[in-house]
Amino acid sequence: MRNRFDEQLELLNVELIRMGSLCEDVISGASRTLMGEDGFAQQVLQADHEIDQKERDIENLCFKLLLKQQPVAKDLRLVSAALKMISDMERIGDQGSDIVELAKYMKKGAVVQSNIHIKEMADATIRMVTESVDSFVKKDLSIAKKVIEEDDTVDALFDKVKEELIGLISEDSANGEFCIDLLMVAKYFERIGDHATNIAEWVEYSITGSHIGE
Amino acid sequence: MKRKIYWNMCLMALLAVILSAVMATLVYYRNMADEMRREIVTEARYLEAGIELSGPAYLENLSGSIADTTRSRVTLVAEDGTVLYDNYAAADTMENHGSRPEIQEAMESGAGSSVRTSSTLSERTFYYALQLEDGTVIRVANTTDSVLANVLRMVPALAAVAALLVILCMILADRQTKRIVAPINELDLDHPAEVKIYDELAPLLVRFDRQRSTIKQQMETLKSKQREFTAITENMSEGFIVVGKRGEVASYNTSAMRILGVDEKQPREAGVNILSFNRSHVFRTTVDEALSGRHCEQNMEIGGRMYQIIANPVMEKDEVTGAIIVILDVTEKEEREELRREFTANVSHELKTPLTSISGYAEIMKNGLVKQEDMKRFSENIYTEAQRMIVLIGDIIKLSRLDEASTDLEKTSVDLYAAAQNVLARLQMQAKAQNVTLKLEGGAAQVSGMPQILDEMIYNLCDNGIKYNKPGGHVTVRVYKEQGAPVLSVEDDGIGIPEADQERVFERFYRVDKSHSRQIGGTGLGLSIVKHGAIYHNARVEMESHPGQGTRVRIRFPEFSGTETKEIHK
Repeated sequence: MRNRFDEQLELLNVELIRMGSLCEDVISGASRTLMGEDGFAQQVLQADHEIDQKERDIENLCFKLLLKQQPVAKDLRLVSAALKMISDMERIGDQGSDIVELAKYMKKGAVVQSNIHIKEMADATIRMVTESVDSFVKKDLSIAKKVIEEDDTVDALFDKVKEELIGLISEDSANGEFCIDLLMVAKYFERIGDHATNIAEWVEYSITGSHIGE
Repeated sequence: MKRKIYWNMCLMALLAVILSAVMATLVYYRNMADEMRREIVTEARYLEAGIELSGPAYLENLSGSIADTTRSRVTLVAEDGTVLYDNYAAADTMENHGSRPEIQEAMESGAGSSVRTSSTLSERTFYYALQLEDGTVIRVANTTDSVLANVLRMVPALAAVAALLVILCMILADRQTKRIVAPINELDLDHPAEVKIYDELAPLLVRFDRQRSTIKQQMETLKSKQREFTAITENMSEGFIVVGKRGEVASYNTSAMRILGVDEKQPREAGVNILSFNRSHVFRTTVDEALSGRHCEQNMEIGGRMYQIIANPVMEKDEVTGAIIVILDVTEKEEREELRREFTANVSHELKTPLTSISGYAEIMKNGLVKQEDMKRFSENIYTEAQRMIVLIGDIIKLSRLDEASTDLEKTSVDLYAAAQNVLARLQMQAKAQNVTLKLEGGAAQVSGMPQILDEMIYNLCDNGIKYNKPGGHVTVRVYKEQGAPVLSVEDDGIGIPEADQERVFERFYRVDKSHSRQIGGTGLGLSIVKHGAIYHNARVEMESHPGQGTRVRIRFPEFSGTETKEIHK
């Protein structure tokens, strides 16, 4: 009985890692599409679809574990943290595909030429997502803490991008549509950063048992 | 075992106590009954004697004292069975006793006895009857408690004794058990053959010993196999990972960890999932593919280097039981591939340039657009370009020969000094035209090699020394030995090679000054031939160059040892 339980916990662990890496794929694909690289858009949408599927699978697995095995202590924390984490991951997937949808209507290369700090923002967000998944894989508290701290960087970058976009619109109002699209992309990145922070917080909860709410 | 021995002992003790108590009671009771029987017989005899002497009145006189001294019941019965006297009851109220067995017996044989148990079972009465001379019968009866009553009366005392005994037994049994078991507990299982305790255990211990040595042997074999395996995998520069069917890591080597960038110091429990090593899309799909039973190869970039991930499923009876993942560093291979592509592009370009000129000149000539007096210049151009192509193709052929190392021609003993002399003689004209002085220093030094290739190498070096020189410059060729090994050095005080290009000048078609290459001439393959020639001769090429000051190239040959090679070259 115990054996089966351990097996299912390990499965949960692996499935979460897989879902996390799909998120990484989505966001790096989204960033590349935004920067004008071809061939990633389809991959992102595919991965987003897989993420949705995974969310349901993991949810089922968690409920099964809760009902049939009645986990306690650390195991219970892992299962409940998993339930919370998957919704954050699912949001990352959705927002990643939203970025791709927006990027489709932008002129190729326009983002790179505009000299706006969106690339830095994307890189910082990618790093956050990668590290939040890393902290879960390695069960490393220090990485989780680092992710939580890094959220400030992304927030600061968002403000910077916003100011740059305001400047761009005031220069030429013909830039309006592009600027607003880009603002939304920046907002999505900022949200993804928040979700990565949430994941890191849940990782911290599953390790230490205490959760620092926002 | 201890428990069992202990409880068995206790049970046995308990049984012994109970049985001995019962037996003792029985024996005691039996003795008591005999005693009583003897007593009533004696009493009857006394009474008989008394009655014989003083008649029945004796009993009357006696009655008070009898009742006091003994509990015996004395009855005198007439010949017809009527009770004449009884010391417990009034004689006239008693029924006829003629039918009593002891009385009948006494009447017949003079004496009779019987034992009767009362209806309540708690009493037993012994009767003894004697016939007196006058025919009457005197009967003495005594009552005692029955066995059961007797036992019951003894029970408290017996129980107390038994309990005491049982407690004693339990203590003793405990100690005894410990003593029996102790040697077994203290058995030295590491050296079972040396233990000398119970003989009954000897076969078991011998067997133990044998199995122990077998196990030890097998462990040794397994360990050495494991060591072999580890030695092989650890010394591989390729990464190697074995995973189970759910992706749990069964085995891995250090290289794999290094390549995947996993922190080795981090403690890792067995059976960790492969995805915690690397979870990139390429790696994931490769492993998944292998675990679903298909061979898979993909390239993946980690930390700026290119790796090939090869995953093979491990099948057992058509079922995937795991996968073996090998990670190869293909960076150099990729780079070589890149170089080859570059080379092909370069060759085509180098060949196309002269051909375009040739074809251009020829076209103009064909169309008759050339004046008769220009004809010579045009043909000359065509000739030069064709020559250039011939030289180029010749160089390419030489290089490709060196590349294939198909020059399995026999090596002979070659004198470097003589070879250099030969080359310099040929270059004298060219040097003069460029106003460069050629010098040869040193003495004879034998190397084992191919004369044509060595000639080509020296020629190319000197040619470069002349070509990339200033008017009035010098080219010095030195042939000498350093610690017995021949060294050929070509030094010039020409324009030198910029630091950044020094690494690359040995590459095919690499030119430092790309814009003026056509004026200087050459194919861009000269130093490449030198490099490959040196490799063929196991020699080392060293280059020192300072822009504006000159260049020195030294070729260090391996020590000459070949006396077995034929002496051909002078």
